[in-house]
Amino acid sequence: MQIYEDYKDHADFLTIYIREAHPLDEWRMKSNAKDKDDVCYVQPKTLAQRVAIANDFTQRFKFSVPFGIDEMNNAANDAYAAWPERLYILDESGRVSYKGGNGPFQYEPKEVRAWLAQRYGEVKHPEPAPEKKS
Amino acid sequence: MNRTLLWIAISLGGLVVLAYVGLSIMAGGPKDAIEMLRFAWPHMHRGKFRVGDIAPDGQLVALDGATRFHIRERSNGRPLVLVFGSFT
Repeated sequence: MQIYEDYKDHADFLTIYIREAHPLDEWRMKSNAKDKDDVCYVQPKTLAQRVAIANDFTQRFKFSVPFGIDEMNNAANDAYAAWPERLYILDESGRVSYKGGNGPFQYEPKEVRAWLAQRYGEVKHPEPAPEKKS
Repeated sequence: MNRTLLWIAISLGGLVVLAYVGLSIMAGGPKDAIEMLRFAWPHMHRGKFRVGDIAPDGQLVALDGATRFHIRERSNGRPLVLVFGSFT
């Protein structure tokens, strides 16, 4: 996540893993299987299953953004109306400063970048070169 | 009277078909439209709070599967960007 790399010296970031959007046993999408990463899971029924998928995700993509997992009662998801994906910015006092729309159609990372740029100025580090496959 | 009812039924049927076609295009296919209504619709809502409101806190689990922490604990006196999502 390039925004994290660019602004982590100015703001804190937290990825929150919530219930799966397109698991095999619910609204399965063909694109998941076609994807080169072959992302296919059933909806976790236990916290251990949810934690296992979260770890798979962070390891597979070498995901460096701080990470938290929603409890099985989906409390964070429900409180933030976050499903299937959503972005927020909370200010220093804990108030909602930016409330993004529900993804995928209203998921706009560029709006988060614009919010951060307005406050801290434009920051753009060069993107790391893709790893060569051996 | 019967003719009026017939036209109302035809109009409503047309609207349903149009809505289904629109939803199919949006979701990616006719089957996806049904799946979207079945699995996605119950989880879609706009949220109760607005910009400027105190954000709800919540308890999360760390990647070790045991450690618990609260969302607000991760704000070190700086803005906190929350990125909600899943793998699929």
